[in-house]
Amino acid sequence: MVCVRKATMDDLLAMQACNLLCLPENYQMKYYFYHILSWPHLLYVAEDYNGRIVGYVLAKMEEESNECHGHITSLAVLRTHRKLGLATKLMKAAQTAMEQVFGAEYVSLHVRKSNRAAFNLYTETLGYKIHDVEAKYYADGEDAYDMRKQLKGKQNHHHGHHHHHHGGGCCSADARPVEAQPESKSEAKAST
Amino acid sequence: MGASLPPKEANLFKLIVKSYESKQYKKGLKAADAILKKFPDHGETLSMKGLTLNCMDRKPEAYDLVRLGLKNDLKSHVCWHVYGLLYRSDREYREAIKCYRNALRIDPDNIEILRDLSLLQAQMRDLTGFVETRQQLLSLKPNHRMNWIGFAVAHHLNSNCSKAVEILEAYEGTLEDDYPPDNERCEHGEMLLYKISLLEECSSHERALEELHKKESKIVDKLSLKEQEVSLLVKLGRLEEGAELYKALLSINPDNYRYCEGLQRCVGLYSENGLSSSDTDQLDALYKSLGQQYTWSSAVKRIPLDFLQGNKFREAADNYIRPLLTKGVPSLFSDLSPLYDHPGKADILEKLILELENSLRISGGYPGRSEKEPPSTLMWTLFLLAQHYDRRGQYDVALSKIDEAIKHTPTVIDLYSVKSRILKHAGDLAAAATLADEARCMDLADRYINSECVKRMLQADQVVLAEKTALLFTKDGDQHNNLHDMQCMWYELASGESYFRQGDLGRALKKFLAVEKHYADITEDQFDFHSYCLRKMTLRAYVEMLKFQDRLHSHAYFRKAAAGAIRCYIKLFDSPPKSTAEEDDEMSKLPSSQRKKMRQKQKKAEARAKKEAEVRNEESSASGVSKLGKRHVKPVDPDPNGEKLLQVEDPLLEATKYLKLLQKHSPDSLETHLLSFEVNMRKKKILLALQAVKQLLRLDAESADSHRCLVRFFHEVGTMTSPVTDAEKLVWSVLEAERPLISQLREKSLTEANMIFFEKHEDSLMHRAAVAEMLSVLEPNKKLEAVKLIEDSTNNPAPINGALGPVNEWKLKDCIAVHKLLVAVLNDPDAALRWKLRCAQYFPCSTYFEGKCSSAASNSVHAQIAKNPENGGASHSDGGEIADFVESNGKMEAFKDLNI
Repeated sequence: MVCVRKATMDDLLAMQACNLLCLPENYQMKYYFYHILSWPHLLYVAEDYNGRIVGYVLAKMEEESNECHGHITSLAVLRTHRKLGLATKLMKAAQTAMEQVFGAEYVSLHVRKSNRAAFNLYTETLGYKIHDVEAKYYADGEDAYDMRKQLKGKQNHHHGHHHHHHGGGCCSADARPVEAQPESKSEAKAST
Repeated sequence: MGASLPPKEANLFKLIVKSYESKQYKKGLKAADAILKKFPDHGETLSMKGLTLNCMDRKPEAYDLVRLGLKNDLKSHVCWHVYGLLYRSDREYREAIKCYRNALRIDPDNIEILRDLSLLQAQMRDLTGFVETRQQLLSLKPNHRMNWIGFAVAHHLNSNCSKAVEILEAYEGTLEDDYPPDNERCEHGEMLLYKISLLEECSSHERALEELHKKESKIVDKLSLKEQEVSLLVKLGRLEEGAELYKALLSINPDNYRYCEGLQRCVGLYSENGLSSSDTDQLDALYKSLGQQYTWSSAVKRIPLDFLQGNKFREAADNYIRPLLTKGVPSLFSDLSPLYDHPGKADILEKLILELENSLRISGGYPGRSEKEPPSTLMWTLFLLAQHYDRRGQYDVALSKIDEAIKHTPTVIDLYSVKSRILKHAGDLAAAATLADEARCMDLADRYINSECVKRMLQADQVVLAEKTALLFTKDGDQHNNLHDMQCMWYELASGESYFRQGDLGRALKKFLAVEKHYADITEDQFDFHSYCLRKMTLRAYVEMLKFQDRLHSHAYFRKAAAGAIRCYIKLFDSPPKSTAEEDDEMSKLPSSQRKKMRQKQKKAEARAKKEAEVRNEESSASGVSKLGKRHVKPVDPDPNGEKLLQVEDPLLEATKYLKLLQKHSPDSLETHLLSFEVNMRKKKILLALQAVKQLLRLDAESADSHRCLVRFFHEVGTMTSPVTDAEKLVWSVLEAERPLISQLREKSLTEANMIFFEKHEDSLMHRAAVAEMLSVLEPNKKLEAVKLIEDSTNNPAPINGALGPVNEWKLKDCIAVHKLLVAVLNDPDAALRWKLRCAQYFPCSTYFEGKCSSAASNSVHAQIAKNPENGGASHSDGGEIADFVESNGKMEAFKDLNI
């Protein structure tokens, strides 16, 4: 029914359009560029049989903190394409890449307290747990759950020794484009 | 820098630079003023002060100071560099490059300036210059990784892949064996993948694969590694290994259709033009085995529907559809819809779904099954059928099915969305908007149904209501601009098109140009990434991004916006807005007391707007430095309704700007050349108009629009006075030489060519309409004959393989276009009325034709809706605005449906 694959440059405009149709948290094109040019491995799209982008996940690596971890910036699936398990497939693809490419120890996301459908997806299907509550996280004053899911952690690629690094490594923090980072209020909304 | 200053001031100068870099502009300004107190003519300080002010929104002062600084110290590379930075901040890249070059003349090895120059060269795609600058940077600082990488990328962009590979290998030669350290593994792996992709690009497949195997352990991104490997294996003809690898990839992600396609290619079962029946059997078997392996995959279940035929298709479709109906998957129809283009499959699907429906009604279960289905299955079956009949243009059946589904379960929102879409297709835009609004109200927290509702409202020309509705989901409740800031282009386009239909050219232009601006901004967005990606090493993505940028303006949204703007300018040229003198004239007709009142009112409004603008601007500059930091209040839009846009001196000159972009980026779109024809005919650019005609014939000589332009062109140049000047004579000689080369004309008269075209396309309504229109142009006394040509058209059943039920060929939008032709071009109100009555039969829901089921008809169920003033009613029924455009443009279908 729907093809789930890594996003390409040509998908970005359609991802933005999909976001604007579905979610109240929106981003300018530059923020999508920032994601795909920093972590091309973490963007996935769902493309229907007519070649239309009907869902996407936009994710990043958190580079400031000590623990290397991933973060879901935004997840959306068109209302017309519910009940296909697309949100799950997209999330799993992004999580796998975080773990395999960047050795992420956990993945975090924010979700509106009122968004039960998404909350259920994250807790029941995907195994996220509430880590914290962020008061008035969203522009309209609603609180967010700060949720986390533990991944298997850093895999040692082949050397067999384990390094904990600080702010470096795959999540190196030295490179950042000027002004390429708007306030990253993230939103994840999904339907089961 | 600041070398000519005494120590104390030199330190202050350093502080200015530091403050600029850390964006502490106030501090920098203070330091600059301290120096200038003692040395008021110090060039570099003046320059830096200017640059600082530039960041504080004091642009005019900035330019004055920077120029003064430069004048005082022409030999300073700092002053030139700053001047370049100033131009850069205004996107004046060519000027900026000149300044940098001057700076480098003074200080040729200045790394900072070289780096800034290289960024601009990448941005402007001055690729030879980019290569040179990167080479210089590398020779100055060979111990910087980034300089090696930058040099390689420059060569790659300049189409020298093998050189790029050489450079990367030389760079690798500088690394220790145990490189990379753990914290650079990702970057290094990316570099290796980039190098391998370069080898692939210059067709060194063998070497690429070798390299890939050798470096496998150093490449962290294993998925890309496998995808790269399989691509190379296929190119090397090692298909068996390729097939195995595709299977491995499918086990990672069985939902990636590209893997399925790749696997098919490897096993020799892929063809664009269909397969032999034995191949089809093999392919069927392949997918059956994949289906057993990857039970989760929807791809392996759906793909066989594409290649199976006849009974096998029927059986597979049956197996495919049943569980999805039981589950209630709303996108089932959209998933099946590509099959409607395969001959025969729509009929099979129709029979199949009707059987399911029938069985569910009688026994509550599927045919041949004893288990009962849940009641929702029947509802989803009706839902599917409604969309099926909608697709076939049988709107009455579609509506009865969806109404039954709604009666069955009134709480399912999707049903209302689909009913809204059917009504829209059937021609009742107002009712469609009302339904969409009903759906919206069923879940106010869901932006998707809000968006859908807004789209329907715009289609029904309820712009104010649409805007109000859209604003429910934007953060700055009062500031509509949020949709603009977030680059919500579908909205701006749909809104612009609605304004255009309503004849509000100012607002329409405003929206179309807004979209155009987004594209300019997106082009600009790449700037920061030229250096970022070199550091981050995401080189494959970076090069992809540059290529994407190069074709950005061929994107559909841009095309629509540019075409919309051009149409506005054409219309503006054809009927310029009233000048102030004329307005005064109109006002003078009013009684003097009223006149006075109006003037006062106008003045007050102007004063208020001015004051508001000032207040807001003050707020914005204040908050710019306040601790609120980023919360930047936007300056007030001085022209919210696009009135100033209407004041352009030469609309066709503006149109030409956008036309050039279309010609460059969408040369294969018919619309591009139709617009070029219209613009150039008005500009009396005969040869450019001829070019447009030739392009149209190249793309589609059988299109009714191409025919119109061809005939109109030679007819209009034929009526021009004979040439006088040398230039005119030259144009005529070109036309004389070209005309016999056009196969549609040769030595024939235009009337003959018109009749030949008619004979060729007798059965098509739109072609007959074009011929009729041209007949009336060529021989105005034959209007009655032209009208007859149209009225003699018959609405035949479409040959979709003996479809069940009365599926007619004529499309609603075509019939509307023909009606407008009868009204505005052929000027035959009686014929137009006859046409309207006839079409009201075919399209009973159409408000345009006031069909008996439409909300325009007084006895219709939807009539109440249309009368509700808030909904405004679809003003399409008042066709005047569009009709005169049809006349001038010749293109019937001004705007295609907006797909979002």
